Amino acid sequence: MIRMRNVSYRYPNMDGEWALREIDFSIEDGEYILVCGASGSGKSTLTYLFNGLIPHFFEGQLKGSVEVEGIYTREKRVSDLFPHVGLVLQNADAQLFNSTVENDIAFGLESLGLSGKEIDRRIRWIAKTLEIEDLLGRTPMALSGGEKHLVSIASVLCLDPSVVILDEPYAHLDWVGTRRIQEALSTIHQMGKTVVVIEQKIGRFIDDATRCLIMDGGMPIFNGSPKEAFEVLIREGLVPRYTKRKKRDRSGKEDLLVARSLSHRIETKDVLKEVSLELRKGETLAIVGRNGSGKTTLIKHFNGLLRPHSGELAFTGEDIRRKAPPEMAKAVGLSFQNPNDQFFKNRVKDELLVGAKILGKEDNKWIEELCDLFELRELLDRPPYRLSEGQKKRVALASILAHRPELLILDEPTVGQDGRFRKAMIDLVIALEERGITIIVITHDLEFAQAIADRWIVLHEGRIVADGSPQAIWGDERLIRLGAIGRPEEEMVEAFLES
Amino acid sequence: MGPLDPRTRLALGLMAFGAVLIARNLETILVELVLLFIAIALFGMGKPWIRSLRLIGPMSGLVFAIALLSFDLQAALLLSIRLINLLTVSFVFFHAITPEEMGESLRKMGVPYEFGFILTTSMRYVPLIGQKIRHILDAQRSRGIDLRPKIKNARNFMALLMPLLVQSFVLSEELALAMESRGFGRKGRSSRRLYRLALWEYGLMIASLALLIGFAWWERG
Repeated sequence: MIRMRNVSYRYPNMDGEWALREIDFSIEDGEYILVCGASGSGKSTLTYLFNGLIPHFFEGQLKGSVEVEGIYTREKRVSDLFPHVGLVLQNADAQLFNSTVENDIAFGLESLGLSGKEIDRRIRWIAKTLEIEDLLGRTPMALSGGEKHLVSIASVLCLDPSVVILDEPYAHLDWVGTRRIQEALSTIHQMGKTVVVIEQKIGRFIDDATRCLIMDGGMPIFNGSPKEAFEVLIREGLVPRYTKRKKRDRSGKEDLLVARSLSHRIETKDVLKEVSLELRKGETLAIVGRNGSGKTTLIKHFNGLLRPHSGELAFTGEDIRRKAPPEMAKAVGLSFQNPNDQFFKNRVKDELLVGAKILGKEDNKWIEELCDLFELRELLDRPPYRLSEGQKKRVALASILAHRPELLILDEPTVGQDGRFRKAMIDLVIALEERGITIIVITHDLEFAQAIADRWIVLHEGRIVADGSPQAIWGDERLIRLGAIGRPEEEMVEAFLES
Repeated sequence: MGPLDPRTRLALGLMAFGAVLIARNLETILVELVLLFIAIALFGMGKPWIRSLRLIGPMSGLVFAIALLSFDLQAALLLSIRLINLLTVSFVFFHAITPEEMGESLRKMGVPYEFGFILTTSMRYVPLIGQKIRHILDAQRSRGIDLRPKIKNARNFMALLMPLLVQSFVLSEELALAMESRGFGRKGRSSRRLYRLALWEYGLMIASLALLIGFAWWERG
């Protein structure tokens, strides 16, 4: 059982701002709690309280008391609490710090001082329970996102804690990875464990929870059943209800980008196989597919980061197969998943202008327009690293657009973003379309893809398996059975609300 | 490599490094290269070694070219083949011992656990940092920032270094969180594997050391 009494907390150097405020909350044994909320609402901070990382690892000011399994966390160290409370971090690369999966699972067991025989027994047990026997000898680096999360869960669950906490386990996963983690969590819950899942991307797994807590501004604004929570989440914009997209006809327009039988190989693996597509000027295209289906490899050809092993590629009629990224940057802007890969200036306004200055395409009027569009005026003098995740994404996108490329490519723009940002992203894309920019969006978030694009291309194991309107593709049982696309969440939502 | 205690593997690896560094004659270096090829074939490491040639090849080629311009063909061959030997010994060594085994060996040799752990964890994160560098390079080159290794691009490298530094700090903090949450530093830690040095392994290490000393004396002579 977890009991929090009048808990407030603030991180050091946060200018007096409280990350959590006056929280009174209890979790009974065997509950499955889903903690939702926007970015920066205090969800992760809440989890650090449960295993004593606050106040023992993070300094700062803590008021009130937290009691876990009858132990006051203030009085015990993290190393005393970890056999009771297992924490699975969002970043699996940090969670898995050993050279093999087996050694990673063994690490916590060795900390407990168990014998080699018992450690081996527990490794075999957890591997069988979570069906990861085939992964034991592999290095964590070589695992898929879903597999990494499963191993992270195993590394904690093998300690037999009574409470298991997971920080955004679904954030980077496609529908297949999501389903595997969802099943694993149901298994853990059925074992009688208390499960606490922190998540901002709400999916069909909400149905598994026994209770939901919605955080906002460091406080719970809702504590109740998942069904009621769902209605609150929709009302708060945390589960976005996208408006139906107006169809835009681009059939008469000329081709901007044409690929013919494009193939790419990495070592001995064919990552792209005979990919052919045409993109018309002014079109918004979504390239959808599972993680690892070749989406990012494909778009890296469009701005010269990769060269095809065979096939043809033309931009505005010109062969671009041998062009380098600095040559292509003027015409093609590519925004990658992680905005932190870009930032190296001390102020947002300097960061915005980096590309435009290098490419000699500074246009103050356009920059002003971008600042309004992306709501950056308040942020211009702030360091990019200090911004919230949503703000970082806005700055990164605006900096890609600062030299006004003809084609904008967005690689997984919704990963790690809350519902409000995802909804705002749709409006931004429409505004950019109106300014004549052609857009390609790479995503495995199919609801978002449906709301943002007129046309989908489905990539599966390096091949295009469908090309057409989202309405025509998403109803295709053949593609769903193939695993190329997931089932519409909309259906789940309707069924959930009706139940 | 299973039957050998990691300490034996560590000691044999270090002696192999020593033997490569001691060798002075081209003939001896060539003999060492042949012996290394035999070892690679025996341990079934042929395919990964051929893949590692993508790194070994250009590096030794560069050394060969510089030495040929600065000295003569004999010196160029000697230096470049010695580099191949050195990199191949490293390749075999790191394939024959896992970071955890190395950490455990060091602990058994009296090195504090924390120090061994830092060493092994650094090895685990080398590929991840490599991946981060590739992502940052892709993001910055896509903005038109030229990061090809040229003198005129020197200032542009801030665009690589700053994001890498910031992300490495973030990763190190998250890593500390993960370690702390799984009992790092807790007293009474056990080890899953019990390593015991067999008598014949002591014999093997002593014989190898004697061979190394003999080899050094012969090379000097």
